[in-house]
Parts: sequence; structure tokens; C-alpha cells
Amino acid sequence: MASKWFVVKRLLLLVPVLLGVATLVFAVLHISPGDPARVMAGQRATQEQVEMIRQETGLNDPIWVQYGRFLVETAQLKLGESYVLKPNQSVMSILKNSIPTTIELAVYGQLLGILLGLPLGVLSAIKQDSITDHITRIGALTGISVPIFWSGPIVIILFSVTLGIFPTNGRISQEFFLSDTWLFFGHELPRTGLITIDTLLLARYDAFMSAVKHLVLPASVIGFYSMALISRMMRSSMLEIIRQDYIRTARAKGQGERITILKHGLKNAFIPVITVIGIQFGTLLGGAVLTETVFGIEGIGMVLVDAIDVGDYPVVQGTVLVFALLFTLVNLGVDITYSYLDPRIQQ
Amino acid sequence: MGRIPWLRANQMLWPWIRARVRLIGSAALGGGVLAVLGVIGLLLATPYDLAFVSTQAFSLGALCFGFGLLGWSGSVLAGSSVENAQRYLDTGMNWSEADSRRAMARIGGFGFGGMVGVIVVSSLWA
Repeated sequence: MASKWFVVKRLLLLVPVLLGVATLVFAVLHISPGDPARVMAGQRATQEQVEMIRQETGLNDPIWVQYGRFLVETAQLKLGESYVLKPNQSVMSILKNSIPTTIELAVYGQLLGILLGLPLGVLSAIKQDSITDHITRIGALTGISVPIFWSGPIVIILFSVTLGIFPTNGRISQEFFLSDTWLFFGHELPRTGLITIDTLLLARYDAFMSAVKHLVLPASVIGFYSMALISRMMRSSMLEIIRQDYIRTARAKGQGERITILKHGLKNAFIPVITVIGIQFGTLLGGAVLTETVFGIEGIGMVLVDAIDVGDYPVVQGTVLVFALLFTLVNLGVDITYSYLDPRIQQ
Repeated sequence: MGRIPWLRANQMLWPWIRARVRLIGSAALGGGVLAVLGVIGLLLATPYDLAFVSTQAFSLGALCFGFGLLGWSGSVLAGSSVENAQRYLDTGMNWSEADSRRAMARIGGFGFGGMVGVIVVSSLWA
């Protein structure tokens, strides 16, 4: 079990991570061209109106005063209000609606990657240099090399446009919406925000199937990328393990190959793979920016792209901070799991 | 003297602190000097006003500081995992968590020094 001190140390590391991200975002937004006061006031506003907004929002203050204020407000989770994207709506409420979408996409993608990657990696290792191994390795190399902005449109053309099996974009068919708001069968979404869970909770299996159909392509694209790295890592790790003395001893004692691999090899080979899965999950959350844009899914990634597009600074800052928080929390979970499986890491 | 535990701990603690202060302090000093010279140089050589120059210079310093801090904490959080992953993937790179941590501490210190330098020179100039 992970010691309390180990967990506390990891939690304390969240502070510099978030401070670093907040500082980076603040700096980038101030260096990049564009005047937030002008964005807020609108292009037709007079110079006096722009100046008034600048005065009211503190944009006239010296930059270090703005930086200090930004850090204090961020620490209090006051992320401000959207200027342009959804005017006068708090950034927190925008994020609250979009985070579950991204998490759902990343979780299904990662699950797919794990379910395919682990067995393929093990198979590739125990059948080293066979045709199966070569095919798996080529598949893994392809998966790592092909970017999502290329594979996404390809699967859309193939499975949506040509074969017509899956829908091209969105989270669920429009027929399941009562209006273009978040009203869904008279219930306000998100309940959990995870559309597959919500539809099941409401016992609307037709809507559930629609949500699943909408998820298949984006989750597969993400999953393929994830599967590639996991299978590659699993293969290398498994190869190292099956050359160990204790595996040789198990074989020498006459234990069956399957039991030797599954009982003695798998758990130990899995340890380094866990860290990769964790890092990979964080990357998937980041990769959601591309996937959501390609598949038209309104998650946090798409919110970020839209906010950058219109120069909505508070939304950009809030979104990036949430990305960082999710990434580090996932890493924390991975570290705790890792330390449970291999207590030496705590020292 | 060496038998007293807290003194023995201190004997180990001071060199540890000194090495880190030297690492970050020298970088911060460099950043601070560069920021002061940069702000003064830009004010004298360009038509931009103090507000614009200090905003740009402070943002650049903050960029370095943020990058360094994020890189440092990222190295501590996930460095060993990345090191492990590289070993298993046979990337042949000599990247290590400790080197990355030191480099990032320097970049962060440089940026922090730059931010402080901009504040000092801008306050004095105004």
C-alpha cells in the first residue's frame, strides 16, 4: 500500500505544476498579439469604451500586479467569465459541461487501447520473431506514427461517408434532443455528463446505442494510438521478464507455459506498462483537442480551440489549467498504483 | 559532534542547500541582469513606452519561469517513468530525470530573476 507521506509528497507537487501552467498561460497570452479589452468591447467600440473596460478590468495595472491578482484568483478557483464564447457565463460552468465529454472520450479510447494493446504485446513477446510478432510491431509502429488529424478524416471517409456505418460527428443523434439546449428527455444534462451513462440511467437504450455509435470512431482513433504504445511497451517488458531466472525455474519445474506466463510473468511485466498507461491517458486528454475538433465533439478540447479562435482569454486560461490538473491527477493515481505493485518506488 | 543526529543532519543539509541555491541563484542573477539591460536598452533604442517594454520583458521572464517550473515538477512527477519507458523502448537516449530537473531549475531560476529584474528596473525608471 502507498504510504501517506508518498501520497502527500505527490499532492504537494501539484502546486508547482499548476503554478507553472498558470504562469505559462498568463505569459503566452500577454506576449501574443491582440487586446483583450478590445475583444471584450467589440470591434465597433470607441477608444473611450475600450479604455473604460481596460480601467475596470485592471488591464491598466502594471503587469506584475495583474500576474499576482491572476494567481490569487486562480488559487481561489475564480476563473472569471467568458468574454466572447458564451458571454457572461462563468468559465467554471463552461468547463463543468465540457469536461465529462472529454473524460468519456479519453476513458473509452484508453480502455480500447488497453484491451487490445496488452494481449497483443504479450502475444508478440511470447511469439518473438514470428509472423504474429512482425505484424503486431508494424501495427504498433503505424499507430505511433500516424497523427490523429490524418487518421481521423480517413476513418470518417471510410466508415461514415463511404460505408455509412457510423455517424460523422457529435455525441448523439439530434432527434434525441428536445431543443438545442442541454435539455435531454426533459432532464437537464449533465447528470453525470457521461452520455453513455446518462442514457443508461434514464433507461433509453435507443439513445444509448446512438451515443455508442457516435463514440466508436473517435474512441477507436484514440484507442489505436494508445494501443500501439501499450503493446510496444508490453512486448519489451514481457521479453525482459521471460528471460529472468525465476521464469526459467518455473519452466524447469515443469509448470505449463500458459501458467508461467500468466501467473509469474504478467504481473511483473505489467508494472512498467502502468506508468505508460498513465502518461498515455494524460496525453489522450491533450489529444482530445484534435480528436474533438475532427469529430465535432463539444468537449474541453473544442472549447479550447474555439476560445483561442475568438481570443477569449479567461476560457483559454481555465481550460489549460483544467487540462494540467487532470493530467497531474491521473499521474498521481498511476504513481499510487505503481507504488502498490512495486513498493520500492516509494524509497 | 558527528554523533549528535541533528548536527549530522545539518552537515548533510547545508551542502545540499548550498548546491541548489548556487544552481538557481546564478541563473536568477543572469536573468535579472539581462532583464535590466534589456529593458533599459529597449527604452533607449525603441520608441516604445515603459508599460509596453516592461509587459513584454516580464512576460518573457514569466514564460521562462513557467516553463522551468513546469518542467521541473514534471520531471519529478513523471521523470522516472519516462526514463523507464525510454529504456524499454530502446530509444538509445541518455535523457535522465536528474539532468532534466537540474536544467529546468536553471531555466526557472533564470526566468524568475528576469521577472524580478523587470519589476526593479521599471519601478526605478518610473
